[in-house]
Amino acid sequence: MKSLASRVETLLSAGIDIGTSTTKLVISRFSLMNLAGGTHVPRIEIIDKEILYRSPIFRTPLLSATTIDMIAVDDIVKSEYEKAGVTSDQIQTGAVIITGETATKQNAEEMVHHLSEHAGGFLVAAAGPDLEGIIAAKGSGAYGYSKKTGKSVANVDIGGGTANIAVYQDGRLTGTCTLHVGGRLIEFEDEQIKSISPPVEKLIRQEGWTVQIGDSKYHPDVQKITRRMATVMANVLSKSMTMEDEVLLLGHPPQWSGDVDVIVFSGGVSECIYQLEEENASLAVYDDIGIELASALRREPGLQHYEWKKPNETVRATVLGAGTQTTNISGATIQVESSQLPQKNLPVVEVSFEYETAVGLAKLQSSVEEAIAIYDPGGEGQNFVLYLTDIPYLKFRDIQSIAKKLIACRRLKPDPLQPFIIVLQSDHAKVLGQTLQALEPEQSILCIDQIDIEQGGYMDIGQVLQSGVVPVVIKTLTFHS
Amino acid sequence: MEKELIASITKLVIEKLNQEQPPKEPEVALWSASPKNPAPVEATEQNLERIELKPVRQEAIQRKEQKTHQSRTCSDSLKLEKKEQQLEELRQKTPSRIAVGRAGSRPKTNTWLQFRYDHAAAVDAVYGEVSADVLENLGVFTVHTRVEDKEEYIRRPDRGRQLSDESRKIIKDRCQNSPTVQVVISNGLSAKAVEANIEDVYLSLQQSLNNLKIDMGTTFYVDKGRVALMDEIGEILTPDVVIMLIGERPGLVSAESLSAYMCYKPRKGVIEADRMVVSNIHKGGIPPVEAGAYLGTIVQKILKYQASGVSLVQKES
Ligand code: B12
Repeated sequence: MKSLASRVETLLSAGIDIGTSTTKLVISRFSLMNLAGGTHVPRIEIIDKEILYRSPIFRTPLLSATTIDMIAVDDIVKSEYEKAGVTSDQIQTGAVIITGETATKQNAEEMVHHLSEHAGGFLVAAAGPDLEGIIAAKGSGAYGYSKKTGKSVANVDIGGGTANIAVYQDGRLTGTCTLHVGGRLIEFEDEQIKSISPPVEKLIRQEGWTVQIGDSKYHPDVQKITRRMATVMANVLSKSMTMEDEVLLLGHPPQWSGDVDVIVFSGGVSECIYQLEEENASLAVYDDIGIELASALRREPGLQHYEWKKPNETVRATVLGAGTQTTNISGATIQVESSQLPQKNLPVVEVSFEYETAVGLAKLQSSVEEAIAIYDPGGEGQNFVLYLTDIPYLKFRDIQSIAKKLIACRRLKPDPLQPFIIVLQSDHAKVLGQTLQALEPEQSILCIDQIDIEQGGYMDIGQVLQSGVVPVVIKTLTFHS
Repeated sequence: MEKELIASITKLVIEKLNQEQPPKEPEVALWSASPKNPAPVEATEQNLERIELKPVRQEAIQRKEQKTHQSRTCSDSLKLEKKEQQLEELRQKTPSRIAVGRAGSRPKTNTWLQFRYDHAAAVDAVYGEVSADVLENLGVFTVHTRVEDKEEYIRRPDRGRQLSDESRKIIKDRCQNSPTVQVVISNGLSAKAVEANIEDVYLSLQQSLNNLKIDMGTTFYVDKGRVALMDEIGEILTPDVVIMLIGERPGLVSAESLSAYMCYKPRKGVIEADRMVVSNIHKGGIPPVEAGAYLGTIVQKILKYQASGVSLVQKES
């Protein structure tokens, strides 16, 4: 007998990372299986991820210092898909992420959305320094190591433009931090300094150093700069940043609780430390401070007391994370209409019930009003996800009151007829969806559950899979910092 | 089988189980110090399965010592705190009694009391009754099986699978004939399961069938029923699908877990493999409201394939 449980469904996933220095792509295949027994309530999970294709590492094509060469990026993706033997309509999930300084380019937003539309059936556009750190930590193995050992593991992903730190303890995200620390912040050409990025310029001025464009790449200040970057890294990891360190901080200071036990370096600069890539993916191509920075980090006294864990991936951590770690699978008992899917780039509005139905009921209306004011002030019909969390034990009567309240909230929306999208943390989607349907049979409803959002304010929901679940990607979309 | 034969087999089993409990293994003896009433066969079995007292980890003991002596360094205590946090996370992952500590070779008093409490709750669940209010609120009437009392219910599962003559007549008179779905509620092995969950499961199931426009017959309650009673009900009322919401044999994790057993056109002589079940419906398992909603979609599938259980799985693939 062929049991239901042993049926495996596969999904093709793409990950595309457009970084400050480099662009790369991976194609992988996920296997989904019902892990609950034949007649149990199904529990669909991703049981295997097989990487089918890894592209070479390309230089990110730029038209100018401020614009990405979109056509060239498109060409890379097209030709790599061809080499991998896949077509874009076969891609059922995955993410395009624009990282580091590239996310600040004029056409960054246009670029990711363009690829998201054209390079796959359900490919998600993502950007934002915290998310980069999280995705890299998942791709490098740091997240897995923390889960396995229970230790507090900081993944430091250092690319061309930024260093994105994500700290995981026992598989739980405890904090993130981003620094202006990267290989390409000073570039050389013909033994001379060709460019210095603005944050480093600031550092130079603050310290009273003198190095400038046109100086020899062996100017003593260059080493001072990379050493300083390493020291700031150490101070951030131990949460003992000084005022002077702040020039290199991008966004918020470190906010994780507790101490870091282990550090994992990923990203291009990590490749200079570990050399995991094949020989011919030569580093000399990048004529910048990457190698100097790597050696400064290796020697930095403030980093010696940590356990250094070798990453599974260096330059490719982010792209692997984007391709293999961004897709979540919803619960199996959900209420969806395939004609309304996929749904993309929806801002997430969280309503915490604080474990009391009355509290949740009281909050719903104001949360929706607030959400409309923020996301759809012009009444153009920007939809959003209502994410209901910390729900207490619910009786049928509670479900009915919540459903009635939700319907009242829907009427507040500028376009009340657009799909009403409700995502629950707990296993209640089917009954809530059915109750909404019973109350308003004509309205379209998307109600999915068992989604935990650890970080990120946007959500994409893919098409219903054979197993009745939907892929869900949670992300950020932050382009200017 | 003959009456005497069944009685003597049951007696043998009980004796055997009692014999198997000398304090050879201290942990076993701790648990099954015989309750006042001779434990029902099934519940005793469960006890044996469930015995699980994980020895506490060295660290937890160290932590205890450290709390009293307070002589260790600060970083030591931080480490222990972290360990404790990790243990707590593990505890959160399972309702099993893990990392509960010990005093010498025994469980701690609290753990022990909790265990006794859970065991008592399990026994109560079997011997309790569903209050009339709950049934009245649902608007269901009560019928009986051929079982006279709880003792007989436990010793004679066969009698719990047959309706009394009077009850046969009652359901024939009062119930809609040949509905698409016939729902039957029974206390089974846990009256508490019905009390705690029936309202939510039932209302949500009703809504779900309504949404799907699936016709539901006249629901009734059977006192002291067994799962296979659905076969006789199927004979009498000829529904397409029977859903039996029945109290599960209580365990030490939950004494109020409900199951929904389902079968497409159950009739006398149906094979067990054609039944199916959604079990573990309770507060800490599948939320009752969600279970009811899910049952509706299973019924839809059963009707579509005109099959249930293993046959359904086969037809589906
Ligand atoms: C006792 C028990 C048994 C006993 C039943 C003995 C008896 N004659 O009473 C035995 C050991 C024979 C048994 C066998 C099986 N069981 Co059983 N069983 C249980 C248990 C612990 C309690 C059931 C209960 O309280 N029923 C209520 C009383 C009132 O019913 P009853 O009329 O007295 O007895 C009937 C039911 O228990 C039913 N039954 C028992 N198990 C199963 C399983 C399935 C799939 C079905 C359709 C019916 C069924 O058969 C009995 C005779 O008609 C549950 C655990 C739970 N949380 O519910 C697992 C449980 C129901 N069993 C389970 C399984 C998988 C099985 C087997 C398929 C195991 C196997 N691989 O062979 C078989 C199938 C038996 C069948 N009838 O088809 C699973 C079902 C999972 C699921 N949702 O599909 C459960 C939930 C355990 C679990 N957590 O995995 N089981």
